[in-house]
Amino acid sequence: MFGYILRRIALGCAVLLLAISTLYVIVQAAPGDPASAMLGPKATPAIKAAFAEKLGLDKPMPVQIVRYVGSVLSGDLGTDLRSRRPVTEVLAAHAPYTVELILASLLIAAGLGIPLGCAAAVRRNSLFDQAIGLLSVSLISVPPVIIAIYGMLLFSAALGWLPAIGAGVGEGLGSRLHHLILPAIAVGIGWVGYIARLVRASMIEVLSANYIRNARAFGLPELRIVYRYALRTAVAPTITVLGVGVGYMLGSAVFAEIVFARPGIGKLMYDAVILRNYPVTLGAVLAATALLVAATTLADILNALIDPRFKESRE
Amino acid sequence: MDTLLQVDNLAVRFGPVQAVKWVSFALGRGETLGIVGESGSGKSTLLWALTRLLPETAAINSGEVWFDSEDLLRLPPDRLRALRGTRISYISQDPMTSLAPGLTIGQQMMDVLHREPWSAREKRARAIDALEWVSLPDPARRMEMYPHELSGGQRQRVSIAMALMLGPDLLLADEPTTALDATLEVEVLDLLKRLQRETGCAVIFVSHHLGTVATLCDRVMVMKDGEIREDGSVAQVFTRPEDDYTARLLRCDPARIIEPTRRLPTMADAPAATAAAVVGPAGRVKGSESPILAVSDLFVTFHRGGFLPAAIGGAVERIHAVRQVSFSISKGETLALIGESGSGKSSVARSILGLVRPDAGTIRLGERELTKADRGGWQAARGEVSMMFQDPAGSLSPRRTLAEQVVEPLIVHGRRAEATRAKAVELLTLAGLDSRFADRYPHELSGGQARRAGIARALAMSPRLIVADEPTAGLDVSVQGEVINLLNDLQERLGLSILLITHNMAIVRHAADRVAVMLKGQIVETGPTARIFAAPEHDYTARLIAAAHHDLPTHESA
Repeated sequence: MFGYILRRIALGCAVLLLAISTLYVIVQAAPGDPASAMLGPKATPAIKAAFAEKLGLDKPMPVQIVRYVGSVLSGDLGTDLRSRRPVTEVLAAHAPYTVELILASLLIAAGLGIPLGCAAAVRRNSLFDQAIGLLSVSLISVPPVIIAIYGMLLFSAALGWLPAIGAGVGEGLGSRLHHLILPAIAVGIGWVGYIARLVRASMIEVLSANYIRNARAFGLPELRIVYRYALRTAVAPTITVLGVGVGYMLGSAVFAEIVFARPGIGKLMYDAVILRNYPVTLGAVLAATALLVAATTLADILNALIDPRFKESRE
Repeated sequence: MDTLLQVDNLAVRFGPVQAVKWVSFALGRGETLGIVGESGSGKSTLLWALTRLLPETAAINSGEVWFDSEDLLRLPPDRLRALRGTRISYISQDPMTSLAPGLTIGQQMMDVLHREPWSAREKRARAIDALEWVSLPDPARRMEMYPHELSGGQRQRVSIAMALMLGPDLLLADEPTTALDATLEVEVLDLLKRLQRETGCAVIFVSHHLGTVATLCDRVMVMKDGEIREDGSVAQVFTRPEDDYTARLLRCDPARIIEPTRRLPTMADAPAATAAAVVGPAGRVKGSESPILAVSDLFVTFHRGGFLPAAIGGAVERIHAVRQVSFSISKGETLALIGESGSGKSSVARSILGLVRPDAGTIRLGERELTKADRGGWQAARGEVSMMFQDPAGSLSPRRTLAEQVVEPLIVHGRRAEATRAKAVELLTLAGLDSRFADRYPHELSGGQARRAGIARALAMSPRLIVADEPTAGLDVSVQGEVINLLNDLQERLGLSILLITHNMAIVRHAADRVAVMLKGQIVETGPTARIFAAPEHDYTARLIAAAHHDLPTHESA
């Protein structure tokens, strides 16, 4: 068990290293040149060259990659070309808003999706099941941006229940959570439908298993059969999908942060791309990648903890 | 006789198919009733219908099931659930799937006691008692284990313990020994007999295995197409069957035919015809020529990864699946490789087909040294050896017709031009199917037909050697003979050599020329089939033969 977790984490780190190198190359290969972008159209070639030299952009690509990876490993992501603050500091300031948004979205997706899917599987082919099916497909089909905008119009503009923009920066926990509701629904609600379909399918499969019939043959209460015997097994693929889902949610988070003007990693990334602020762009993408790798690794470890077959190597 | 269960006109339907047709019978307190029949005869459906545990696709059309003055079919769900597990218990077919994988043995056993007003400590003690009663070693430790940590036989003991914990009046057992090896089957049957003697509970025992029913039951019912064809004492049904179908079924069982024959009787034969001892054409086995297959000093080891990867000092567990195995097969000969699950016989077969890389030893196929063969050598070798897979339906693609699949080996070997429909029909005909089957899909086949399709595909490359992996596993006794007849017949017509891998001793007698017995990765005994059966040298061989043999009990009640 312990060995498995270690191996899984090591693999996650390897993926991350590969991602760092790839990202660096992609960002450098993109059209446009940071020196011109930062120094303005009037900069002379000599000034540009000096600027490039300062950032190490004149070195051959492999050297740049090794240097970049080395500095990332030592915790140095460079300096924000705008504010002149270290990129790590900028990321640290923005990351919590994205992390809390993703966590809240996951909570909505799993918290609503799993019970709905479970209930649909238990009463399959009933009217209730069909209603949940219809709801799921509708939720999957509506883009998060639409939900964000209409949610804003309804709950903020018309009803005034929820704040339209901001993240409650510098206010109390209550205000932060209050600001979180609309964006989290926008990002997570589509996943409710997806998770519900997934849980329903795997629950139906598990409910037809031999050991479920056996549990019924011993007169166990239906609720105990569903939650203790069936759901425990059926939820495993959902955890894996949610781990990968974090990646998609990060994509939606960029929209949500722009629409709701939240100072998260997505918004930071968007602004940095527009300004060709390379160190920040790289740092933000890196942070998002790290988040995704962490999520999938965590999902695998969680699955291993649920499945007793992994405990064999515990001694 | 004091009646415990009275079934009147019970009928069950799966969609348009009437699976159980207005069946009536009674069961006395403490009586042991066996229900035998082929797959699809409705015997399991009947069993599960008694306490309304059928899948949703099934519907009970009519009937009454009186259990101690209560009609189980009309009881409110709560009352019925209260009976399940307390007065009526189950043992289901496959011990590998009947326990929940995510809960420990202890959790599941204590869940069965959920209605009892006992403390957790007391429930635990009861569960441990029950495990002790079924002779599971070290029960307290097993309570903390998960099902995957136990062997098949141990799991079935747990199932039995679970079923008996609350001292039921009626035990419903659905093929409880079918998934077990022969020697384990004997142990579980002994356990069930003891249980029945000591608890006095009535048992309904469903099985397609005539021998186990004869060993365990007082009374037997024969089912066919949802109807009861015969109902009588074991001694009467097995010695003087009144029904024609029963007579045929009994006569077909390869286990009941002691005299070796290469032509086993089938259901289609007239019941009057006696099984003739057929030895096949003389000189079939070309023992004087150099052998088709010669395996010598074969070692296969599997590695299971431990804590850390081996590269950074992690311990790796070595499992010696095959240890110093040597044997050879002549042209036209059948060698049976027998042994129980885990004995290493499949690993031997996989080495011959190049699916597993042996650690040491040589495998010679004709003139070719397979262990030193390159890609081209293997490609050629695979044209000469064909595999007949254990699970015929599972090894055929569900989305392609038989005609497409049967000639697939030719396409793989770059002989697309020969892979015609005519060739497919020819192969199917050879395997005893006909052109009507060419356009069918695997799900439209019965177990025996799927097996024949597997044989047809194995013949596509005109191989010299066929590796038949458990060719009768999961087949009804009425079809086992047909498959063995077909293999014997093809061998005589095409001069094939066959490596027969099985744990079914009953078919070995009728198909194999020689036998090699495997135990824990080693061959412990080899010899001609007749000698092995008459005078086994190794204790294990004797046990295997004894396990396959079911005496007709001489019940006083008969």
